[in-house]
Formats: sequence, C-alpha cells, structure tokens
Amino acid sequence: MTGDGAPRTLFGKVWDAHTVDTRDDGAALLYIDRHLVHEVTSPQAFEGLRQSGRRVRRPGLTTATMDHNVPTGDRSLPMADDTSAAQMRALERNCAEFGIELHGMGSASQGIVHVIGPELGLTLPGSTIVCGDSHTATHGAFGALAMGIGTSEVEHVLATQALWLERPEEMLVRMDGSLGSSRAITPKDAILSVIREIGPAGARGAAIEYAGSAISEMSMEGRMTVCNMSIEAGARAGMVAPDEKTFAHVRDRPRTPRNIDALVESWRETLFTDAGAERDREHAIDVSRIAPQVSWGTDPGMTCDITEAIPTPAEFSRGDESRRAAAERALEYIGLEAGTPMEDVRPDRVFVGSCTNARLGDLREAAAAVRGRRVADGVRAMVVPGSQEVKRLAEAEGLDRDFVGAGFEWRESGCSMCLGMNEDVLGPGERCASTSNRNFEGRQGARGRTHLMSPVMAAAAAIAGHLVDVRGWELAEAV
Amino acid sequence: MRGVATKYERDNIDTDVIIPGTYLKVHDHAELARHAMEGIDPDFHSRMEGRSILVAGRNFGCGSSREHAPIALAGCGVRAVLAPSFARIFYRNCVDGAYLLPVEVGQEAYESISDGDELEVDMAARRVRNLTRGEEHEIAPVPEIISGIIEAGGLFRYRVPE
Repeated sequence: MTGDGAPRTLFGKVWDAHTVDTRDDGAALLYIDRHLVHEVTSPQAFEGLRQSGRRVRRPGLTTATMDHNVPTGDRSLPMADDTSAAQMRALERNCAEFGIELHGMGSASQGIVHVIGPELGLTLPGSTIVCGDSHTATHGAFGALAMGIGTSEVEHVLATQALWLERPEEMLVRMDGSLGSSRAITPKDAILSVIREIGPAGARGAAIEYAGSAISEMSMEGRMTVCNMSIEAGARAGMVAPDEKTFAHVRDRPRTPRNIDALVESWRETLFTDAGAERDREHAIDVSRIAPQVSWGTDPGMTCDITEAIPTPAEFSRGDESRRAAAERALEYIGLEAGTPMEDVRPDRVFVGSCTNARLGDLREAAAAVRGRRVADGVRAMVVPGSQEVKRLAEAEGLDRDFVGAGFEWRESGCSMCLGMNEDVLGPGERCASTSNRNFEGRQGARGRTHLMSPVMAAAAAIAGHLVDVRGWELAEAV
Repeated sequence: MRGVATKYERDNIDTDVIIPGTYLKVHDHAELARHAMEGIDPDFHSRMEGRSILVAGRNFGCGSSREHAPIALAGCGVRAVLAPSFARIFYRNCVDGAYLLPVEVGQEAYESISDGDELEVDMAARRVRNLTRGEEHEIAPVPEIISGIIEAGGLFRYRVPE
C-alpha cells in the first residue's frame, strides 16, 4: 500500500496491493490470486506450456471446471458431440498432468465457472481473479478485481501467476433509489437500463465501481448479475465494495480460508473508496423509476421498457447515422418492425440460465411466476441451473417441481444456450426470451433471435406465450 | 505494411460475429479461418484474397474473450484491423499472440477509407497512408506496454527494458 495519504478508490487499492512492477505509463505487472480455467479457452495455453517446457507456477491457485460445452441433458449417456468430448478430455489430461484441481462433468461441484467460484469460497474480497472468459467481472461483486483474459494471457498466468496490464480508466456507476419489494424489477433490469443509456462501449476499457443505495440493498447474487454484465458496456472489470453481506457470504464455504476472521477485519478497514477519490467517468441512475427491461435488437444496449414499442431507427439513432444503420440491421435480423409493442413479441423458446442469472435466487424469482401455471402452447422452456450445487439446493426447495409441473425442462448445469456451444441452440429464425447476457447475431445459434430479460420476466413470457409486464402478476410466495 | 482494405461500415462488430461459438471447439487455424466473419459475410474468406487490411467501425471485437477471433481473421490473411476503437480483450489478444495489428484511427479517417483502397500502415511514424486517395491519417498513440509487446512479437517474448 502506498502511504502518501492521497484518497484512493477500491480499484486503486486492489491494483496497488497486487503490483509487482510498473511502467512509466501506469501499466503494471499484477500478481494474480486466483486463476479460473475452463475447457474452451485453455487447451492451447496448456499446449504452449508443454511446447516451451514450462510448468504451472502455482497450481494451488488454479481451479478448473467444465461448463461451456458440457451437455445439459442425461449425462449417463455417451456424449453426442465428439469435438466437445475431446475438449473435455483434454482438460482432464491437462489438469492431471499439471496438478490442477478440476470440477469435471461428473463432479458434485461442477458448474459455470463464475457460479462455482463464489460458491466454493474461491472468490475473495480484495483479490485479483482472472479467467479466460469475458464474464469474469462477475467476481467483482465481492470487491475483487476480476478480469476476462485471452488464451495467450491464460498461458502467461499459468506460467508466471502474473500479468502485464494497462491501468484502466475508472468509472463510477451509481444506482440510487430502490428496486422495491415487488420482485418484478430486478438487478438485471438495473444493469440493462445502464447499458441501454451508455451503450455497448459506454465503459470501454474502464474498471467500474458500482455504488449507491440500490447496490447496498442488493443481495450478493444481484450484485453478481450487475457486475457480470460490465463487459456488455465494454468494461474491463466491475466492482462493489464489500460489506457485511459479502463477509457473510464468504464464511463457511468449502474453501473459506482458515484465517477468515482476521481477513474480514482487514477487508473492513481497507476495501472501500476513500472520500474524495477521483474517477475518470461517472454515470448515475435512479432504479426506483425503471420498468422491466427487454432487449429488442442485437446488442444489449438495444433495450427498452416492456411497456414500450420498438423504437424506430431514427428514434434510436440520437442523431448518429451509425446507430441508425445498426438499428435497421438489427430489426431486419430480429424479424420485427419498429413500432411493435414489446408485449406483442412471441418467443418460441425460453432460457433461464447462464452466469448472469442461474443462481438459486434467480431460479426462485423465475419459479414465483410459474408455480401453479402452465407454459403456453408452442413454447419450449428450459431451466439450466448454474451449478450442481444450485441444482441440489433448488431441488431441496421443490423449485424443480414448480418448473417441471409448469412444463419447463429441468436440466444439468452449464453455460448451455447462452452461447450455443452444446446441443442447446436456437434453430434459424427461432426467438428466445433469455436470461443470458448477449443478444448478438448468432449468439444462441445461427440466425437465432435473442431477447434479454430477467428470470421472472422470461418465466412469465413462457407462461403468457408473449413478452409480458410481470408487474401486473401475482407472484407466488417465497418458499 | 501495405495492403488492400476490405471495409465493413458497422460499429460494435462482436466476437460472436467474427467467429461463432460453435467453432470454439475447433483448433485448426485454417478451419477457423473458413468461418471468420461468417455472421456478416459468408464470403469473407474469399473476399480477403489478395487483401490484408480490415476496416470497421467503433468498438470492434466487443464481447467474448475468445482468442479464436484474431486467429480466424489472421487465417484469412488479415494483418491489420483499422477501427476508431477496439474492445480491450480483443485488442490485447491481437497483440499478445502477435496475430495481427489493431490500429486505432480517428472516426474521420475511418469514414474516408473505401473498400478496395490500398493503405500503408506505418506504426513507427504513427501514420496510415491511403495510397489510392493520396490521404494521410494519424494513428492514435499506443500505450508503452502495448508497443513493447508488439515490438517483441507477443506477450511471451516481451521483456521489461533494463
């Protein structure tokens, strides 16, 4: 820690505490506390180590899981996809050869990398975390500096446990007001509403700190949803200063450090932004005023209120020709006309899952809209829990019975239809109400069409057969 | 470096468009190249024949951290991408693996370049010369750490200067 007394941000404190070396331009060689690895972005990194005769520098700080292309159907059957099976075998081999702990497909602790990190207690406040996955910012909900990296960087961290990084700009995103207690407006709506305002490059390259009364009120799961989507505004990282909720969450996990009491004490004293610390950019929203958000286009910024109609390209453009052209292309791709009320949009598929929204709280929210109801004719709806642990906990509460009773598929954990690497893909032209994070062209399958929304909104869409304002719904009581 | 440009007038070209998720199981670079930019131009691979520069709009490469994206582009002969801005993970992936040069130019420079123009990219002088139009544009300053990695030929060759 520098001792000159200048006020520092949460980000600055974590960055400084992990700096091994610096360059004149502010770039730093950062020590990495935790490296999370999955089957898709790691094979070439391990191959690189092998070719150069290097070992993994700190295998004990490296944790692997299989999530991106695991099947979510019956896992007692042989894998249908040979290339996926090969990628998973490669991870098994690599973990065995390099001495890395693996939460593989048959493991009770398997799950999406950004779900199992916090679940196992591997995600700690004030730590640096990297993973070859752009949604790594999720872990920032705990006050960690967590960043997505590419495969060359994965290899570099495996080999050295450190990484050269440009120092990012800093941005404060304030979420003031309250989401209320209706359960109809959720953290997903809050972050979608921010991205809608600042756009997919609105925080490009920045480290965001989320603060404000709505963040303080939010559950750890809600904060994870918010931080998770930082990358959809182009940010390198998203962070929330830890508080008593954070400390409670990291206690009594399978991998909680033995000196947790001392750690909590030091986190309490240091992990916050000092009064007077400056940021490069700032954005604020009042979440008390937002409606449920639904995306209509092909980037997460193309989002509107459920009660609105799809904007015309001219309305969306804000006078920018490039935005106008993007909206035109998006409408053509998504197969909808400007002026269509969002509530008239009819999904073929509903996906409740992904590292954004597949934790226990997300499944509870979704279940509240389906209990005692039936999925509309012609809609295929699925729930893909974020991890085996989430699945077990949900089943212990009977959430699986709510979903299956309503006509949803209740599947095994993985990334699934968020990115269309396994069998869970949209067919060409199929439309999906999805709790995932990206509505890019082809993201959920070639020519597939994605509408992003919260778990309760996606579940309600499955029941109604069209996108629907869940504020008018009677939601089942929490179990 | 010198080359002919292929241009897509479009902001926010994301990595799912550059290389769809279904191909992330593919390790063969030639096979990845066949599917590059499939999302917006199925003929991209043949369109790049005899060309080596891709020009596109703001926030190029947003989305996923997949290093398959610059690998697929490089496999089609792309040696430089010119855009007014880049998503950061994509930008780092380009230079870390030394696949291709991400070149940040002003919005006006981007707008002035047409598909088929012959360009000369001079990183040392931080200039892009449009040989077809006789115009010259500035390249945005490159952070020291990035130019160090570029000059070294990738992250693993980079050594901290004495």
